[in-house]
Amino acid sequence: MRPSFFHHLHPPTIPAAQAQWRYTLGAGGIAVMLVLVLLVTGALEMFFYIPTPDQAGPSIQTIAFLVPFGGLVRNLHYWAAQALIVVAAVHLLRVVFTAAYVPPRRFNYLLGLALLVLSLLLDFTGYALRWDEGVRWALVAGTNLLKTVPWMGGGLYALAVGGPEPGGATLIRFYAWHVFGLVLPLVILSAWHLFRVRRDGGIAVPPPTARATAERISRNELVRREALAALIAGVALLALALWRAAPLAPPITIGSVGIAEARAPWFLLWVQQLLRWGDPFWAGVFVPLALTVGLALIPYLLPGPPRSQLGRWFPPGGRLAQIITGAIALLMIGLTVLALYP
Amino acid sequence: MPDVSRRDFLTLLRDGLLAGSGLLALGGLTRFLSYQTEPPPTTEFDLGPAANYPIGSRTRLPDVPAILIHNASGFSALSLVCTHLGCTVEQKVDGSICPCHGSRYDEQGNVLRGPANRPLRALRVEPNAGGHLILHTD
Amino acid sequence: MSALLVAAWNESRKPRPVVLVPTLSGRPEYCLTCHADVPQISAAHPTGTFGCVSCHGGQPLALDADLAHSTMRGGRNPSDFSVVEASCGGANCHSGSAAEGRDHIQRALTSVQTTYAGAIATVRYAFGAQSGPGAQQGIYAIEDPHSATGLTALTAFDPAHDANPSVQTFAANCLNCHLSAQPLPGAQYARFTGCAACHAPTAGTGVQLNAPTLHQLTTAISYAQCNTCHNRGNYSMRDLQFHPRTDAPADRLRDYYQPIAQFTRCEYTLDCVDCHTRTEAMGDGDIHGNKKEIQYIRCKTCHGTPTELPLTKALTDPNDIAFRLALLNPVVDLKIGDTILVTEKGEPLWNIRALPGGAYELFGKASGQRFTFRPVMGSRCTQNPEDQSSASCHQCHSVQR
Repeated sequence: MRPSFFHHLHPPTIPAAQAQWRYTLGAGGIAVMLVLVLLVTGALEMFFYIPTPDQAGPSIQTIAFLVPFGGLVRNLHYWAAQALIVVAAVHLLRVVFTAAYVPPRRFNYLLGLALLVLSLLLDFTGYALRWDEGVRWALVAGTNLLKTVPWMGGGLYALAVGGPEPGGATLIRFYAWHVFGLVLPLVILSAWHLFRVRRDGGIAVPPPTARATAERISRNELVRREALAALIAGVALLALALWRAAPLAPPITIGSVGIAEARAPWFLLWVQQLLRWGDPFWAGVFVPLALTVGLALIPYLLPGPPRSQLGRWFPPGGRLAQIITGAIALLMIGLTVLALYP
Repeated sequence: MPDVSRRDFLTLLRDGLLAGSGLLALGGLTRFLSYQTEPPPTTEFDLGPAANYPIGSRTRLPDVPAILIHNASGFSALSLVCTHLGCTVEQKVDGSICPCHGSRYDEQGNVLRGPANRPLRALRVEPNAGGHLILHTD
Repeated sequence: MSALLVAAWNESRKPRPVVLVPTLSGRPEYCLTCHADVPQISAAHPTGTFGCVSCHGGQPLALDADLAHSTMRGGRNPSDFSVVEASCGGANCHSGSAAEGRDHIQRALTSVQTTYAGAIATVRYAFGAQSGPGAQQGIYAIEDPHSATGLTALTAFDPAHDANPSVQTFAANCLNCHLSAQPLPGAQYARFTGCAACHAPTAGTGVQLNAPTLHQLTTAISYAQCNTCHNRGNYSMRDLQFHPRTDAPADRLRDYYQPIAQFTRCEYTLDCVDCHTRTEAMGDGDIHGNKKEIQYIRCKTCHGTPTELPLTKALTDPNDIAFRLALLNPVVDLKIGDTILVTEKGEPLWNIRALPGGAYELFGKASGQRFTFRPVMGSRCTQNPEDQSSASCHQCHSVQR
C-alpha cells in the first residue's frame, strides 16, 4: 500500500496507553473534526455572505432564514467555532497537566499554541462579520486597543481597520483575514501539528521499559475510537445547532442608540473585565500577550519531569508549570464569571 | 582579519540576502495593507437654527455622537465618545455611563469613576452667518 | 442518518417563506409570511407597489419576530411625527413641492394641531409666563424663515423652564390632544399619533389600536375621528385640570362639550371635512399662532351672500387637483366641464358641484350622502355680507338644543 498521510497518522499498532479517553480526553481529535466542520460550513456560507456594511446583515438573514438548511449551516458554524475554543483550551490544559510538552514535543507545543491564537483571531474576525449592533462595541473597543500600543499603535490600527474608524474597509479586511488570511496558516499549521505528533513518537507515554503494560491496539481499533468520538461530538454539535440559533441583531446604523449592555464575545470577557480596572494597554494588550508568551516559554524555562513520569496526569516533575497554568486558567474563568455576574 | 573561508562567506551572503529580501517584502506588505481607502469622516455638523435649542436644554446628537448644552454661558458641546476605548456613553440623569467598561462621567464630562482617566472631549460650537449652529469635531 | 432526518424534520417545521417584491423598491420582503392577514392600507398605497418596509422599516428578510420588528419606524405607527419624514416623506411622496400639493409633511409639522402654539401661548400669557398673547412656543421647536404670517420660529415649550406652577400643571394635565400626544384611555378617544391620528379611522369602530386589521388610511374622515380630540372634554380654568368627558358622545347636537355653542343644520349633519379644507386641518406651511389664523371657511363660502354667489370654478384641466382628491375618495364622479365651488384662497371644494338650476349638490366625504342647497342670493336673508361670525348667522339659523 502506498504510504499516505492517513497511514502516517495511524501506524499499524500503537501503545494502548496513547489512546485512552481518560488520558487524552480526545480533545485534539475533536478539534480536528471541528476544524473540518468549520471549513465545510464556512465555505457554504461564502456562497451567500456579502462583506459590505449594507449587505452583511441582509445576506446573513438570507442564510439564517431563507436558504434551505441555511440556518442549520450557520448555527453549526457558530457552535463549532465556540466549541473549538473550548476544546483547544482543554487540549492545552491536558498537555500541560500531563507534561507532554517536554522534549521532543517542545516544538509541537508551540505549534499548538499558535493554532489556539489563530482560532481566537478567527473567532473574533468571524464575530465581527455579523456587522450587527451586537458586535459594534466589541469592534470599536477591540480595534481602539491597538491604538494604545506604544510607538506603533497608529500603524497597527490603520493596518487592521483600513480607515479612520470601523467601516466598510474594516469589514472587507476582516473578511479577507477570516476566510483566507488566517485559515491558510491554520490549515498548514494543523497539518504540521498532526505530522509532528507521529514524528515525536505519538502521544506522550513513558518509555517501553517503564510502562505498566505492553498492550498495543491496532490501527482498526484506533480508527474505531476516533470515529466514535467524532460521532458523539457531531451529535452534540447538531443538537446544539438545532436547539439554539446563533445570535443575530439588527445591522449597524450610524447614530443608532446603543444597546443597554455591550458585552465582549464570551472568550474575551476576561479581557473586558480587566479593562474595567486597568489601563487599556496593560490590561488589554500587554497581559494577554504576556500570558501567551509565558505559556510558550513553559517548556523552555520551567523544569520538566523525566520521561518515566510521562503518560499520567500531574507528574510531580512538572508541578510548577501545572500550578502556574492552573492559576492562569482559574483566573480567566474567575474574571469571566465576574464579567457575567457583576 | 579573521580567517573566513569562501564557503562561509557565501553562506553568510546568502543568508543576509534572504533576510534582506524578507524584510523588504514585509515592509512592502505592511505598506500594501496600510493603504486607507476610507475618506476622513466629517468634522462639521450643521445643527440647524440656534433657536431650536432653548436655554437650559441638553440635546443628544446621535449622529456625531455628542450632546449639545445651552446654559447661561452659551452653547457648548461634549463628545459622547468614551475616552477609554471609544464606545458611545449613555445618558443618565446625573451624567453618563459607558456600556463597555463602566466608566462614569458627571454632567460636565469629568470622570467620576474609571477606567477612563480623561474627561469627555469638549467640542467647538459656533454659529454661522445664517444663524445655524455648526459643531466641529476636530 | 437519523441526525440528518432530524435536521430535515426541523427544516420542515419552519413556515414557508412568502415573498413580496414591491415594484417601488424592487427588494424582496418576507413580512407576509406571518402578516398575511393585514389588509391593504388604501387604494392609493397598493401593497404590491409599496410593500411593507418602505413605510414601516424593519428587517425584511428576517423570519424571527424580534429581529424583524427590531428596526421598525414608530412601532406600530410609522406616521408618528418623530419618524414621519423617513416613513412617508420623499420628493415623490409626501414631502414634495407645495405647487403639486405634495408638501403634506412640511404643512402638517407647522400646523397648529401639531404645534399647539395657540393653547400654549394663551395659558402662558394668562399666568404671566410671557409678556404678550402671541405664540412663542410650540410642542417642539420649528422655524420657517419665509413664513407669510411673520411668525418665523417657535421654540420648544419646556415646562421645566417655566417656574409658574400653573403652567406646569397645564403641561402635566392638558397636553394630550396635539398630534404627537398619546390619546386618553377609552374607545371614544382612540386615535394614533401623527398623520394616522386623523387618517386612520379608529373612532367609534371599537377596534383596538393594536389590532392588525386596523391597517387603513383614508381621506374620508368622519366627524367621530375629529371628536377624539375636539369633543373629548374641556379644560377647567378654575382647577387647571383637563376634565375628560365620561360618556361617549352619541348625539351630535346635544352632546357637545360647550353647552353654549349654537349649531345650524349643516354643522351637525355633515362631517367636519365636508366644509373644512386641507389647509385648515393640515396647515398651509406657515407657522400660525392660533386656530383663528388658519380657519377661514365661513357660511358664505358655500352659501354666498345676499349680493354674491359663492365662488365657483369650471373644471377644464384633467390634472386639476380636484380630480386627484375625488379619485382618492370617490364619492362624486367629477367630469371635465363640471363646476365646483372654490374657497377665497382657491382651494377646491371638490365635493360640492353646481347644479343647472342654480342650486348646489354636496356629497358627504365620509358618508357618501347627497345633499342639495340653494344660495343666499335671492332669499329673504338681509345679513350684512361682512358679518359672518357664529353669533351673526345663528341669529336666524340655529337649532334649539
